[in-house]
Amino acid sequence: MSFTKESAVQRAKKDLAGRLNIAESEIETVSASEKDFSDMSLGAPAEDEMSAQMISSGWSINLSAKGKKYDYRADKYQLRLRGYNGTNHIIES
Amino acid sequence: MNRNNFWIHLTVAVVIISMAAILGQVRNWRSTLRSGSPNTVKSTPKPIAVKRPAEEKEPEILVKLRPNVSLSEIKKIAAKNNDRVEDEIESVKGLVTIDDLDNLAAEKVAAQYGAMSDVVTYAETNDKIELAPIDILSPSDLLHRESDPSVSVLMPNDPMFKDQWALNNVGQNGGKSESDIRAIKAWLKTQGSSEVVVAVLDSGVDYKHTDLAANMWVRPDNVPVYKDDELGTFDDLHGFNAADNQSDPMDDNGHGTHCAGIIGAEGNNDEGITGINWKVEIMPLKFMGRGGFGTTKDAIEAINYAIDRKRAGVNVKVINASWGSTLSSKALEDTIRAAGEEGILFVAASGNSSTNNDRRPHYPSNYNLPNVISVAALDRTDNLASFSNFGAKTVHVAAPGRDILSTWLNDDYREASGTSMATPYVAGVAALIWASEPKLTMEKVRERVLKSTDKLDSLNGKVESGGRINAEKALEN
Repeated sequence: MSFTKESAVQRAKKDLAGRLNIAESEIETVSASEKDFSDMSLGAPAEDEMSAQMISSGWSINLSAKGKKYDYRADKYQLRLRGYNGTNHIIES
Repeated sequence: MNRNNFWIHLTVAVVIISMAAILGQVRNWRSTLRSGSPNTVKSTPKPIAVKRPAEEKEPEILVKLRPNVSLSEIKKIAAKNNDRVEDEIESVKGLVTIDDLDNLAAEKVAAQYGAMSDVVTYAETNDKIELAPIDILSPSDLLHRESDPSVSVLMPNDPMFKDQWALNNVGQNGGKSESDIRAIKAWLKTQGSSEVVVAVLDSGVDYKHTDLAANMWVRPDNVPVYKDDELGTFDDLHGFNAADNQSDPMDDNGHGTHCAGIIGAEGNNDEGITGINWKVEIMPLKFMGRGGFGTTKDAIEAINYAIDRKRAGVNVKVINASWGSTLSSKALEDTIRAAGEEGILFVAASGNSSTNNDRRPHYPSNYNLPNVISVAALDRTDNLASFSNFGAKTVHVAAPGRDILSTWLNDDYREASGTSMATPYVAGVAALIWASEPKLTMEKVRERVLKSTDKLDSLNGKVESGGRINAEKALEN
């Protein structure tokens, strides 16, 4: 799997729709922009995960649904959801 | 001892000392002849030519006579010109030194004799030979003199070296001169050794990269293949891949290749960049995948491999760990401790969250173990990089870590930033120390790295040593 910004946004919406059990059309893309993250886990390490400590470019994808905001992060090899129910999740890598 | 015996002993001693001196000189000449390449780095400065002023009383010119011309003939010619044949150089037939008594410029006298083509083969000025004062040249002097072959022996010929501010900061791209690790002076003592093995515990290493291939570890024939009771048997020719449970540690991310280049891209090979170590053996230990992250378990498996290889006779001295997280693992800590018990230094990135590790620990850099060095990152003006973690009690030293040029996948090169990049500078300096003093203990090398830093105001209260690593000082014993 190799992401573009657009495909990462689509995949994030699909993931969030599944988590919230809602239609993708109910999810709004607040922003999707390039960002430098602190490391190669895109600043969202999962439990028991070690990541390379190199500043890494990717996309910050902010979605909104049912009055809440969701922080997705992606680069060409991975998609993560940060701080969902208090933990970070690797959606795809 | 009676008086006669005393004189006999004294005479014998003088003869022995004289012979030893002569033999030593012969050895020097042999050594000079062997190291004929202009790019070979030598610890002895090469002579540079300086024009001798006319008023000095030494002979002004050197004249080589034609074979049929006698010494008496040239003396007559010299006398007519109000010159004097000062000496005949016996080891070169027909070579004499001539002193001009009119105090003319040496160039004019040489031209005068050079025009006598019927009696003279050549005539040249007697240039004063001085040793270049290399020990007091500043890095900028050296760079400005890069085209001067008499000084270029101090500098690697790698074409991108000029962009490696961390090794030689001359203020390029807004940097601050000499905000570097003093590599060009350290190299006067050693440029590394292929006897020292540095394990790069990372995303693998592109061991086929043109600038790395010569410095990659290859399992020697006398070291058996790696066997793990649970994982199986691995033909670990190039290292180990714990991420995929196989032997091939080829990098598919780039991060490990970047770290490897900082430690040991082949130096002075007229290609790309140079590592801190021009020569070293890099052992790739892959535990992170193409995304640049991996599990604690795979990191442990890879460290376990390094310990096994050490016990099998491989001279693994350092593990570079340019990764981490805020999660602590006792198992990882114990494995790193076990590496320390085998004399392996573990150099770890302090993290990129701009936070204080004394309050919010980052691992493995925060493990309080005798073989761990935790590393913060500096920018090219000797300031703590904005992203770098710090900690007066838990981060030990700082090293360059922003806009660092190094090797990348597919024979490429790339600039990258992070404590990931600072860490291999420290690992590389440790390897350089071991190249110079192979018998030093891990504890002593660690102490040497920490105590040889250049203290910086910007690091006061930020890292335990308060300083940036200094390779030159680290090599002083």
